[in-house]
Amino acid sequence: MGSKGTVICVGCPMGCEITLTIDDNGEVSKITGNSCKEGKTYAVDEYKNPLRVLTATVLTEDSCQPLLPVRTDRPILRSKLTEAMPVLAKVRAKPELKAGDILIHNLLGTGSNVVATSSLPC
Amino acid sequence: MHQEVDVAVIGAGPAGLAAAIKAKQAGAERVLIFERAENLGGLLDQCIHNGFGLLYFGEDLTGPEYRDRFIQKAMDLKVEAELQSMVLDLQADHTMKVASSRKGYLTLRPKAIVLAMGCRERTRYAINIHGSRPSGIYTAGQAQRFVNIHGLLPGKRIVILGSGDIGMIMARRLTLEGASVEAVVEVLPYVGGLIRNEVQCVHDFDIPLFLKHTVSQVHGFPRIEAVTIAEADEGCNPVPGTERRIECDTLLLSVGLIPENELSLKAGVELDPIVGGPIVDEARQTSVPGIFAGGNVVHVHDLVDNVTWESEIAGAGAAAFASGAKPPGRKIEMKPGRNIRYVVPHTISGDSDVTLYMRVKEPERNVRIRVGDVVTSKVKLAVKPSSMEKMEIAAGELGKLKDGASEIVVECLTKEAK
Amino acid sequence: MSTHQTDVLIIGGGILGAAAARELSKYKVDTTLVEKEVDWGWGSTKANIGLVCQGGDGLEFRPEYHRSKLVWDSIPMMEPLCQELEVPFKRVGMIGVYMNEDQRSKFSKMQSRAEKVGISSHQWIDRDTLFDMEPHVSRDALGALYDPVPAVTDPIKLNIALAENAVQNGVHGLLGREIVDISPGVGGFEAKTNDGPIKARFVVNAAGLYVDKVARMVNADNFVVYPVKGYVGVLDKRMGDLVRHNVWRVPPIPGEMNVIEPTVDGNIIFGITLMQARRGDFSTKGEMAEAALEHVQGIVPELSAKDVIKYFAGFMMMKTFELGWHDCVVEPSPIVPGFINVTMGYPGISACPATGKEIVQMLADQGLDLVQKTDFNPRRRDITDFSELPDEEKSELIAREPRYGHVVCRCETVTEMEVVDAIRRGATTIDGVKHRTRAGTGRCQSGFCRSRVISILARELGISEQEVTMAGGKSQEMLYRSKQLLEGGN
Repeated sequence: MGSKGTVICVGCPMGCEITLTIDDNGEVSKITGNSCKEGKTYAVDEYKNPLRVLTATVLTEDSCQPLLPVRTDRPILRSKLTEAMPVLAKVRAKPELKAGDILIHNLLGTGSNVVATSSLPC
Repeated sequence: MHQEVDVAVIGAGPAGLAAAIKAKQAGAERVLIFERAENLGGLLDQCIHNGFGLLYFGEDLTGPEYRDRFIQKAMDLKVEAELQSMVLDLQADHTMKVASSRKGYLTLRPKAIVLAMGCRERTRYAINIHGSRPSGIYTAGQAQRFVNIHGLLPGKRIVILGSGDIGMIMARRLTLEGASVEAVVEVLPYVGGLIRNEVQCVHDFDIPLFLKHTVSQVHGFPRIEAVTIAEADEGCNPVPGTERRIECDTLLLSVGLIPENELSLKAGVELDPIVGGPIVDEARQTSVPGIFAGGNVVHVHDLVDNVTWESEIAGAGAAAFASGAKPPGRKIEMKPGRNIRYVVPHTISGDSDVTLYMRVKEPERNVRIRVGDVVTSKVKLAVKPSSMEKMEIAAGELGKLKDGASEIVVECLTKEAK
Repeated sequence: MSTHQTDVLIIGGGILGAAAARELSKYKVDTTLVEKEVDWGWGSTKANIGLVCQGGDGLEFRPEYHRSKLVWDSIPMMEPLCQELEVPFKRVGMIGVYMNEDQRSKFSKMQSRAEKVGISSHQWIDRDTLFDMEPHVSRDALGALYDPVPAVTDPIKLNIALAENAVQNGVHGLLGREIVDISPGVGGFEAKTNDGPIKARFVVNAAGLYVDKVARMVNADNFVVYPVKGYVGVLDKRMGDLVRHNVWRVPPIPGEMNVIEPTVDGNIIFGITLMQARRGDFSTKGEMAEAALEHVQGIVPELSAKDVIKYFAGFMMMKTFELGWHDCVVEPSPIVPGFINVTMGYPGISACPATGKEIVQMLADQGLDLVQKTDFNPRRRDITDFSELPDEEKSELIAREPRYGHVVCRCETVTEMEVVDAIRRGATTIDGVKHRTRAGTGRCQSGFCRSRVISILARELGISEQEVTMAGGKSQEMLYRSKQLLEGGN
């Protein structure tokens, strides 16, 4: 007996809905619904470890440029995205900054930093 | 009159920047970009999400990061740019009139011109949404500018009509900013944009997705209070009896992009009525000699990487024209065949490598896209109208064409059709 | 809150109230014009086709109607008025096409009635001439009756110009001021408003959509009006050559109008399907739009939904629901001395100059002393329209003021300085800027300019961008600031 999980593959316009059967040890025992082998690999990764790059803005102390766009320099767990936003909301970026500068180290213990993607001032 | 400009580029978005850089690299001496907005980069400024440059740089960049690579390159090459400068008129003889805050009212006649004006968003009026006309209704791109540049949120209970990429991106963006996206409503039976966005912008956040539905009415004044959505029939009209009311304080529209060709028309450039942009040859020259075009102004792209590649072609073409090079002699017409909505470029010379860009009319699976009887073909697991297809054809393959061939049919064939 | 004292209180800053105010401003009379919205003309005046006509299409040249006289007297006044106030005015003429003998005989009767009252400008034109003048008219047309006199103007610009000129000449213009109640007071009336009382010797009730409600405040409502809503569509300027005149026909469905005309800005405007509706509900219905399109296609077959860039609904307060069979109410109340009721129904724009004068005459008859001012200034300058200037003037203007070089509305080529001017002249909202400059009226319907106009409004008015509204009150554009919906945000 095992549980099932579904993943939509984003590799190509097929958008295959891939069903994974997970056995009692938490291992993937069966994969169905994929049309190619890349889809299989993607589905397992996505199911076990769904990672997302977080992109957002932070507030600045520059009245001419109220926002600075930022990103995580590595993808983080999907479940951390919503939790991360109030943390970003507290940031007040001060000029001078350039793209790549770190605004938050090790966001929520993910090992990923939040970095500027543009300079301040522009 | 300005000191002679070799190549003038209209628009400093990704298309304009790429064209200008390439024009310089191809030897044009004076390359000048006119941009009516307040900075370089066009819409890349507000596209703070990632997914840019996967093909062109092999890296996953955000819009601003992608933009800055090209701005740096343009500066290194001494491309000139005038901001807050809008080209008001363009004639077939290249006479250009520009209103510029810094430089005043300019009249010039550049040797060559690249049209890179991009596109605009379809409005509620274009899709016949009736009811009230309150505040709180925006196109998705317009809202994106408020959210990502001005630091303003339109509301906290959002309905999004249209599941194109920009609509889905905004669904995620607003959810992350603390708003509640009540629904994404799509008239087709499938999502309009990339599957990646469907997963990462809609399903990731459990946003209700209503396929085969449309917004039939807007309620509330002076601020929107709700929309009525309903199932959509074959003609995209609301099916009576299927209505459902969704309370909201904002409606975003992501219902189509229209290439912005007002200047093109003034210059007498011939437009493709299906695509809405100029008819171009493989150098991206329009029907008016010396006027080239690239990017969304020609046809709406999905990936900025392709905008860049296409605009580089236009920039190189413009530089060649400015230096007096002769245009290619032969013009072989690319004809859209079975399940192909359009092909760009519209004509090729048959003498050089060429990349064809195209879109299908209907989604299909297990197809073969065939270019001409003898040229080349490609097998695809799945094609859909919202995913642009590319076919790269080597000059050698074109050599297989009969001498004097004046057209090549590009078609999308299913297994049965073989 | 101190009491504002005035000789004449005009309730309603629409076209008729503003016209009356401007007329009164020629005299040494203390006049107050109040408007409950935050800008002029936001009731019926802004939502119509701007036609300046003398008859036809609902007006049947019936001399027994008071409104007919007001319209005919106004016709020669309109162009000079528009010139004085720098308001656009285009004499497009009016072509009534007929598709069968029945319609032709209707026109024939109309023409004889017109001639009886001294209007002899109508000419019959045959098919060939018609198609020469209007190549896109349906080949079902057999001929037409042409009147070269009618024109088009910009109704809201005219309204704003009248109000501005009135204020220029001493009228107190009070925007955002709503009359809540009126009671008889010593030597006249005392009005309760949302911001302090106003005492007046005379009241002109030109409250448009609310004309009967205001009359009821003093029991002067000896008339009944019904709100009638009309649907109007606007075409892209690309289709600007579709017609060169106002072209109309007898509609297949009685009780609506079938009309299509050029606007002063180069768009094409068409309509008008009618329905009774709750007053103030300016929403449109798909059925009204479809009917308007289908019926006007009967005049111009190339009219297509794909060219429609905007549609809206406007209101007329009519004494009966049937077009053509009603009169206006422009009279001193027979019940309440010193109280003048003003409601035109249709056509308010065309009749405004003479109506303004007649209101002044009525006030004089009611006992208002009219002493002419020697320093009345009839001229009012409009905001410079950059897009219309020849190259040399554009150049000069930008050199003098760089903000003319910054285009903020790409569809209509409206510059930053024009927006600033509009705000300095009294626009405090996006709609106010739109009405004065055309910013936002183009094919992208403010997709490009909205954010820029918001920035300029915020800067010029010294408010935050978040506080900027579309049309005052609760019509804020951006409800929240970034991070405001998140904990830890501001």
